[in-house]
Amino acid sequence: MRITPAEVAALSLSIKVALLSLVIMFPPGLLIGWLLAKRTFRGKTLLNTLVMGPLVLPPIVSGYLLLILLGKHGVIGGFIYRAFGIEIVFSQWAVVLAVSIISFPLLVRGIVTGMASVPVELENAARTLGASPLKVFWTITLPLAYRGIIGGTILGFSKSLGEFGATIMVAGNIPGKTQTMALAIFSAVHLGEDASVYRLVLISTVVAFVALWFTERFTLR
Amino acid sequence: MTDSPKIKLNFRKCLGNFTLAVNCTLERKVSAFLGVSGSGKSTLLNCISGTLIPDEGEIAFGEEVLYASASKINTPPEKRRFGYVFQEGYLFPHLTVAQNIRYGQPSPRKTSAAVDVLEISELLQRYPKELSGGQRQRVAIARALAMEPRMLLMDEPLAALDSALKDRIIPYLHHIKDAFDIPILYVTHTFSEAVALADEAFLIADGKIAASGEPHQLLTAPSAMPIAQLTGVENILFLPVTLSDKILGVTSLEIGNQSLVIPYTEAEVGEVVPVAIRAEDIIISLEPELPISARNTLRGAIQGLDTKSERTWVSILVECHHLAVKITHEAREQMELREGREVYCVIKASAINRLWD
Repeated sequence: MRITPAEVAALSLSIKVALLSLVIMFPPGLLIGWLLAKRTFRGKTLLNTLVMGPLVLPPIVSGYLLLILLGKHGVIGGFIYRAFGIEIVFSQWAVVLAVSIISFPLLVRGIVTGMASVPVELENAARTLGASPLKVFWTITLPLAYRGIIGGTILGFSKSLGEFGATIMVAGNIPGKTQTMALAIFSAVHLGEDASVYRLVLISTVVAFVALWFTERFTLR
Repeated sequence: MTDSPKIKLNFRKCLGNFTLAVNCTLERKVSAFLGVSGSGKSTLLNCISGTLIPDEGEIAFGEEVLYASASKINTPPEKRRFGYVFQEGYLFPHLTVAQNIRYGQPSPRKTSAAVDVLEISELLQRYPKELSGGQRQRVAIARALAMEPRMLLMDEPLAALDSALKDRIIPYLHHIKDAFDIPILYVTHTFSEAVALADEAFLIADGKIAASGEPHQLLTAPSAMPIAQLTGVENILFLPVTLSDKILGVTSLEIGNQSLVIPYTEAEVGEVVPVAIRAEDIIISLEPELPISARNTLRGAIQGLDTKSERTWVSILVECHHLAVKITHEAREQMELREGREVYCVIKASAINRLWD
């Protein structure tokens, strides 16, 4: 089985983007997960809806909304273009953004599930032992929520690897630049390159199942 | 022993339909709050520990105000330094016993004192799930003691344990009382625990303090009958030993001019032992001499009858002790029980339990 340089580029872009998105989204994911799992505040439902939205919206719709926001005339894209002269749309940053928005709900859901399973009584017990809320978070909530956090991380990462709809909307399908694995499969099918399709599908399947195996390994007893 | 700082509690907290409203001052070293589940005991402790914020009022420890709604003072739990022992223990499952105890960053000296008093040095490297119920509670108590608390809050620390285990833990609590010079607030639904440990007792019912006083008085006075109904009381008597026979398996206690036979217990003649008798374990008889196996027939006079609940509560004065007896309304009517009537209390020896000393 010979893998072509274009396929290698697609695979490495997918992995690079998924990792980068994870690194960027993990800290806000922890914060928002903690807020949603442990706090009551005004606007909690709104925050939840905003974060979870991409889970129920068709990815192509999320992608379109992003395109409007990030385009040269969009609210965010326009500002960045005027300030830095950078155009986000159809760049690798667009891939990262699209993938992050789509996978974020899965990451947060895992974190929320994990943190909600930590009894508030344990956290209160830690407070009475002299621990500040921040210390309680690091020493009690986080270590006891690790199964959920790892589960959310791996699910989000897998989702990032395979994201299609939003990516093609905001980043296009430029081989060697914004073409991820999913987009490469789409192109290969269109062009009738069966051998390439098989290789890409095989690689994607292996990567997905390895991720699933890790999830089970860390989240199930 | 120095004087314990007074703890002033005067606050209100609503949780759904339930309101806790207390106004009292704890002046003695060990204060017990007695009440059935749902009476607001845990809410009370949570408010004192700072893990729950009252709606209004004031909480003060000695001169230091910890919570005051008027001046918007609310010291967070981590600054209050109150050791809190929970009914369920709440040990941190991902930490070893040693790490649990060190969580409050105690001085090594206090840690080893706590470990010694509770005899848990063998368990230090284990995880909570490898401990028995009794061991878990001892570790929980050690963890709270090690942080050098200014006060110890104990929320039914023995409730999750069976009675044999309770008997084994109670002596540890006595050690703590002696070895650590801090006030203890002990919450329980069991009279005997309160009597065994406390210097003062508060009865809490429906979110309010219904009665307070010396535990012995509070629990044995005829006015305690409604309390008895609330908490499923046993009669608690403090009686001197007149005879103890290991071979016959009985111990005799003196109750005025009469005697009360209980199962054999290790005690010196003359020693005063506390015993508990459940109200429903006492049979009222109009005749003194009955051909039955029960070893005790005590003569007494009816002091009062309370027919408000689904059973009749009869208060009987035996010598100078009040016994609360629970019978059916039917029995009361058929026997024509009235105030002042002379009756006999029939009690099986095995229905009488010695309490912790």
